[in-house]
Amino acid sequence: MSGEPLIKVENVHFLYNAESSNPIPALKGINLEIQKGEYLVIIGHNGSGKTTLAKHFNALLLPTKGDVWVKGMNTKDRSLVRDIRQTVGMVFQIPDNQIVATIVEEDVAFGPENLGVPPDEIRRRVDWALEVVGMLSYRNRAPHLLSAGQKQRVAIAGVMAMKPECIVLDESTAYLDPVGRKEVLDVVKKLNKEEGITVIAITHFMNEAVDADRVVVMEQGHIVLEGPPREVFSQVETLRALQLDIPQVTQLAYNLHKRLNDFPKDILTVEEMVEQICNATAG
Amino acid sequence: MWHIYLRDTPLEVVALRGVDMEVYKGEAVGIIGHTGAGKSTLVQHLNGLLRPHKGKVIIDGVDLSQEGVDIRAIRQKVGLVSQYPERQLFKDYVADDIAFGPQQFGLPPEEVRERVKWAMEMVGLDFERFKDRYTFSLSGGEMRRAAIAGVLALRPKILILDESTSGLDPRGRSDLLRRIKELHEKEGLTIIFVSPNMEDMAELVDRIYILADGQVVMSGTPREIFSQPEELYRLGLGIPQVTEVMHALRARGKNVRVDVLTVVEAEAEVCKLLNC
Repeated sequence: MSGEPLIKVENVHFLYNAESSNPIPALKGINLEIQKGEYLVIIGHNGSGKTTLAKHFNALLLPTKGDVWVKGMNTKDRSLVRDIRQTVGMVFQIPDNQIVATIVEEDVAFGPENLGVPPDEIRRRVDWALEVVGMLSYRNRAPHLLSAGQKQRVAIAGVMAMKPECIVLDESTAYLDPVGRKEVLDVVKKLNKEEGITVIAITHFMNEAVDADRVVVMEQGHIVLEGPPREVFSQVETLRALQLDIPQVTQLAYNLHKRLNDFPKDILTVEEMVEQICNATAG
Repeated sequence: MWHIYLRDTPLEVVALRGVDMEVYKGEAVGIIGHTGAGKSTLVQHLNGLLRPHKGKVIIDGVDLSQEGVDIRAIRQKVGLVSQYPERQLFKDYVADDIAFGPQQFGLPPEEVRERVKWAMEMVGLDFERFKDRYTFSLSGGEMRRAAIAGVLALRPKILILDESTSGLDPRGRSDLLRRIKELHEKEGLTIIFVSPNMEDMAELVDRIYILADGQVVMSGTPREIFSQPEELYRLGLGIPQVTEVMHALRARGKNVRVDVLTVVEAEAEVCKLLNC
């Protein structure tokens, strides 16, 4: 991936209650570049600064120090906010808080309607967005009767109907059960691989980072680890010290590696683990 | 036991059909199922919030459907922590919110204070640091713990936690699970733990009930349940990753135990295979 990064975060600091006598530092000098088409996962605990950082990507928050550039536009420039938010759409944690209409397709149409998109274009976008998230057959349903995973997919469709280049998912799977989580993750993967949408997923579930191109781990306002999933996951000691949820197979690989030097420690999935064990027993 | 919502209306939903469940004193029992399976409906019967349309609910020898049942006594004995418990908080100050329950039961102030202190300690909220904090200034995890303390302050014998780890980060989750385990093992509370997370269940409970479409479809110890992965996949539920690994190895002809639930157990089994 070459050329200008889609999003550039340059030495960003952020203080909550900056004007008060008790400001709370949430970001302490973040430098990050996100390339077009990338699938980036940002992991960290509550309080690590990951959500604060996410809100900088579409100018919901502005840095106290430093700059954030979206497609070359500085988020501090108020005249560019609409264009920035057109480029980077955001999906939040609680599905119910993002749904405004009483019929699924009307909710998805809400965004483009407000942008003044002509009616037949709205129709096209709504159909496409619902198709992409697998909810087209639910277009006339009442959102409050859907499961949480379905609602979250409708929320994603609503953002996609705006045709952003990038979507930021802020812990969008936090309140979903395992089935709902899988539904949302499959949709997100599809958007990235098939539609070329840049995805930034904020989460505290490490197993959601397995398919990312790059993983960034945050702690107390800093980036403490960065790299492809395999590299980051194999830093088991660091991850353990940060009390992050390492997938069971990665923990097992690490322990086996300690006993058997040539057993790989960067195992991410059940399939890989089974392969490696079978290879180790053959011969 | 059966429960039907909006009975005899066009929107009627049979939420529970013929559910049988037993929980023995001092046990930790898990209830797993998808959204809509009937888990919350089921546990809301256990402290009399809901009444069954057919069948009985008997708590500590008391049949809840009988005339003149002391429902307050039941609600003291059975503490129910609902999903997103922080929504229950309403008092300005943390200690006041936790004290509300015991105060409503007419306990003397000294006793109330003792209860609040104990409950806060149980959830890891330092009494001196948190008692005078504004409830709504707490972090999400802290609010959740304060809400749980409010239920604990009534010193229930049975504690029901309905998806209490939902929305917590890994550190918050493992901390909460550890505390629940302590309440179970050290304080002898009977625990009913509702969760969609299989790996939590493996660590915490003696027995599991799996609900689907308002019925109990499987029940048994964690080892028994996880030894039937096909059934669980069919129900759309997973098993701990390490258990999956063992089953896959067995399918490839390797001689390994499949009733493995934790990383430590898996390591021991794999080492037998790899001679390490």
